[in-house]
Amino acid sequence: MTEPILSRNFNVPNAWKLSVAGPRGAYETARKVLLAMKPEEIVQTVTASNLRGLGGAGFPTGKKWQFLPKDNPKPVYLVVNADEGEPGTFKDRYILERDPHQLIEGIVLSAFAIRSHKAYIYIRGEYVEPYQNLKAALDEAYAENFLGKNIFGSGWDLDLVVHRGAGAYICGEETALLNSLEGGKGFPRLKPPFPAIVGLFGCPTIINNVETLACVPHILKNGAEWFANLGSPGNGGTHLFSVSGHVKKPGVYELPMGTPLRQMIYTHAGGIRNDRALKAVIPGGISAKILTAGEIDVKMDYDGLKAAGTMLGSAGVMVMDETTCMVKMLLVAAKFFAHESCGQCSPCREGTGWAYKVVQRIYSGEGDLRDLDTLLKVARNMEGRTICVFADAAAWPIQSYITKFRKEFENYILNHKKAGAVHG
Amino acid sequence: MGELASLDPEAQKILAKYDQKRAATLPLLHLAQDKVGCVTPEVEAWVSKWTDVPVVRVREVVLFYSMYRQRPAGRHHIRFCTTTSCVLMGSEKVLGYLKKKLQIENGAVSADGKVSLEEAECLCACEMAPMMQVDGKYYGDLTEKKVDEILEKLK
Repeated sequence: MTEPILSRNFNVPNAWKLSVAGPRGAYETARKVLLAMKPEEIVQTVTASNLRGLGGAGFPTGKKWQFLPKDNPKPVYLVVNADEGEPGTFKDRYILERDPHQLIEGIVLSAFAIRSHKAYIYIRGEYVEPYQNLKAALDEAYAENFLGKNIFGSGWDLDLVVHRGAGAYICGEETALLNSLEGGKGFPRLKPPFPAIVGLFGCPTIINNVETLACVPHILKNGAEWFANLGSPGNGGTHLFSVSGHVKKPGVYELPMGTPLRQMIYTHAGGIRNDRALKAVIPGGISAKILTAGEIDVKMDYDGLKAAGTMLGSAGVMVMDETTCMVKMLLVAAKFFAHESCGQCSPCREGTGWAYKVVQRIYSGEGDLRDLDTLLKVARNMEGRTICVFADAAAWPIQSYITKFRKEFENYILNHKKAGAVHG
Repeated sequence: MGELASLDPEAQKILAKYDQKRAATLPLLHLAQDKVGCVTPEVEAWVSKWTDVPVVRVREVVLFYSMYRQRPAGRHHIRFCTTTSCVLMGSEKVLGYLKKKLQIENGAVSADGKVSLEEAECLCACEMAPMMQVDGKYYGDLTEKKVDEILEKLK
């Protein structure tokens, strides 16, 4: 493993303060680049680096930036998605709380690249301590003129506003986030038009994840080729993997894209607690399809996990040992999606509620073997039928848990059946 | 409205940051809730006045987001994570203990008004599972003993 890049300040005390981050190189790249490079050159460099959106979708960042209309008379906005909420994911919290200047520098460079003079950070409402550190860093950056008017004497202005969410997972979906930022309910929007064309306040808008933007100073400092070579083909750089559950050493691990999942669990995270046997792994946040213990010889990048029938998503790796009850874990997932559905589309609003009720029935010992096919049918009828991918994400745990652990579900139903239960 | 009127200067500052008034809805609700303790009809009217958003739309927003409360919380508010990694690491047992100790269920305030409890979806601190948030601060690797210690320190 190369030197840590994004996480280099995570264990440095008070690195969220400029007095510590400054001597460690914060804003050095921004100062050079703003005076020496043209916006188009930055876009080209980021495109060549193979940086892909690290919020979950993995869309190439440079390509996204190039979707902005040319000759556009309206203001362009940069919106930073700091609404981290995907169960199993906590990497952005580390950047926000421990190294916010790294993020602000990335915002300065990226806003310059897309010719934006106004950026908003939408931070999850529950992130109180990260907000406090981020806000303090923002005030310091303004005081030093790293934000505001004529930054570094480049003649270019940028205002940055931190906006707190109020508790809704769906606001991590970029168009729901825009509606929420505009003061409304977090309802996702129909696409097209994409935000790059019609985004915040009807203006062209680029929405990027925290970690994605934090990569930008490093790419511009060390070059596109350097960054691309850190990862696997088409998946540039390192990634902050959040590893939790039944491992000996849960935490954030910065590893190259494409690191094998087995190595991540057994080498980096220290293996399974009490040296028990592994049962299953969710590789990319609760929405990602689950992998069985026999399926962990996969590369942890967008393409590798797609080939394995699941996804990298937010890189939230949740590890389950042999003592885990899959029925209970599906109940937890179904509760989550039923609670967080925004309610805009019927298949999702009704489907997530229905699925939760059926899993509850099974868990409480009143289930029937037929319930499993009912659940798969509900899941199938949610997939691909709604405005955003939330319903798909709700369907995937149902499908993957039941398909891969069908025998366990069947045994659970038969063994827990209460005497005199009315269903079958 | 006296309590809210004292927030007017702060409200003006918030509005100045946004390109459109309605975008200040969430921050104004946060500000007023912190002061008043919950979102009352007066708070909704005050936010409506500043943002030019009809009261009914403000109310929709209040009901949509889990952090806005229509009744006051306890002096200390606990969000207890109930999602995947916390459950894997034994959150149910600790949550059961906490409920028994406080003698309250999800969404309630303890009889002495000191603590309120909210079961939350993932607070994104799975590395310290099981975990909870007390007045904004995260506490992890919870055990029954640790919960006792945290509660004892609350005034």
